[in-house]
Amino acid sequence: MELDFSLVLPRMGMFISGAAVTILASALSLLFGAALGLFVGVMRVVPFKPLQMLAGAYIFVIRGTPLLIQLFFIYFGLPAVGINLSAMTAGVIGLSLNSAGYVGEIMRGGIEGVPAGQWEAGKVLGLSYFGSMRFIILPQAVRAMLPALGNEFVTLIKESSLLSTLAIRELTMAGQQVRSATYASFETFIIVGAIYLTLTTVTGICLRYLEKKWSAA
Amino acid sequence: MSAEDAEDKGAAKSIISVRGLRKSFGDAAVLRGIDLEVAEGEVVSVIGPSGSGKSTLARCLCRLERIDGGSASVCGADVQGRHKNSDIARLVGMIFQNYNLYPHMSVLQNITLSPVRVLKMAPREAEELAADLLEKVGLSDKIRARPRELSGGQRQRVAIARALAMNPRVMIFDEPTSALDPELVGEVLEVMEKLAGSGMTMLVITHEMMFAKDASDRIVFMDDGLIVEEGVPSQLLFNPRQARTRQFLQRLSGGKPGSGLSGVNTDGA
Ligand SMILES: Nc1ncnc2c1ncn2[C@@H]1O[C@H](COP(=O)(O)OP(=O)(O)O)[C@@H](O)[C@H]1O
Ligand SMILES: [Mg+2]
Repeated sequence: MELDFSLVLPRMGMFISGAAVTILASALSLLFGAALGLFVGVMRVVPFKPLQMLAGAYIFVIRGTPLLIQLFFIYFGLPAVGINLSAMTAGVIGLSLNSAGYVGEIMRGGIEGVPAGQWEAGKVLGLSYFGSMRFIILPQAVRAMLPALGNEFVTLIKESSLLSTLAIRELTMAGQQVRSATYASFETFIIVGAIYLTLTTVTGICLRYLEKKWSAA
Repeated sequence: MSAEDAEDKGAAKSIISVRGLRKSFGDAAVLRGIDLEVAEGEVVSVIGPSGSGKSTLARCLCRLERIDGGSASVCGADVQGRHKNSDIARLVGMIFQNYNLYPHMSVLQNITLSPVRVLKMAPREAEELAADLLEKVGLSDKIRARPRELSGGQRQRVAIARALAMNPRVMIFDEPTSALDPELVGEVLEVMEKLAGSGMTMLVITHEMMFAKDASDRIVFMDDGLIVEEGVPSQLLFNPRQARTRQFLQRLSGGKPGSGLSGVNTDGA
């Protein structure tokens, strides 16, 4: 067959607005997911068993169930208990909560990887547990975990395509709309794929830049 | 040291006071009743074979280990009490064998973190303090450097400056030169000797017998969780009362050159 983009290209605007929604949803989820994940990771290691177990249970559930089911639960399930969320809100919350589970586990590994001597130095120099955590341990843990966190962020962008199942007009949904209007499936999904590839590649480059800058700092 | 000096020391204020200190790890009794007094301005070296409990004693004194029995106090404050970390940090400076500098911070940040965050010193003031201390340890030009850009000897000197920034009443050193290449030991010992000369109270766990002999007022020999013998350097090194002390010192002087007593004239007692 021959590639013919003439039907698809006039609809470039739909791809672009879809990509914008994908970027927005991913960026918000990345932000909330990273913040919450940091929190979960710290809870996982604090010397207080109930908190550790709570964070452990959270990670267990998030990592043990499909993201699609988590999204459906929030969007379609929660109204049963009176919580009605817009599709976008439900989608971002779902992605954030999901990402937080993975980021939490990554952070736990990073925190545990910092040598005990760093905790000891902070303690004999008068810092509290959370003071040491904040100024000494977390900065080192995050630096060490940056490659793993980068992978998680890239995964997040790709998995945001599941938001199309909540009828959010993000990139995948835009693709489906263009396809049903033009029947140019092949060309449409080549373009959608290329845009995803661009987003993940740019994110990857940014993270590698950050990595280099931080390890040189 | 003359008898009068010794009496003066006895009358001086006690900075470290350890009574019947016990510490076990599981079934292993690592400290089995330690009694130790260190007076203000005194420099005490602790020597003894590996595994005798020297580090554990040091770690108990800065609350890195919990005590199982007996008591330990610094400047009258019971180290077991429910202090905040900041209370002990104002009293005790601890120097580790492997420095434990913060690798993600500059030398300056390493030194100012606790003064600013714990002592609530103004950042500008803390930076001036850091600059002063770096000058004292001979590293003024390294203020912006990262720890990994420094040699081991330089790192340990930064660690000393960092501990001094908290203005502690006593400095505890746990084998500060053991991780260093031989040619870097001298620069660290020199800083420590200067510190001792300035009147700092010091407890120094060391294998550097020259330092123990020349810089300390008293040497404590530990073995198997107990203080076997203590005395002024000339007595303990050259005229030890206990057979175990003699054995330990003989093994040291028979050891590899450059370490132990090989450089010390053992006939000169
Ligand atoms: N955290 C720990 N857990 C279990 N055993 C320990 C621990 N720390 C030290 N020990 C043991 O206690 C003994 C004394 O150790 P240490 O105080 O480091 O001796 P030293 O500093 O004189 O070499 C050793 O047998 C060591 O294995
Ligand atoms: Mg030791």
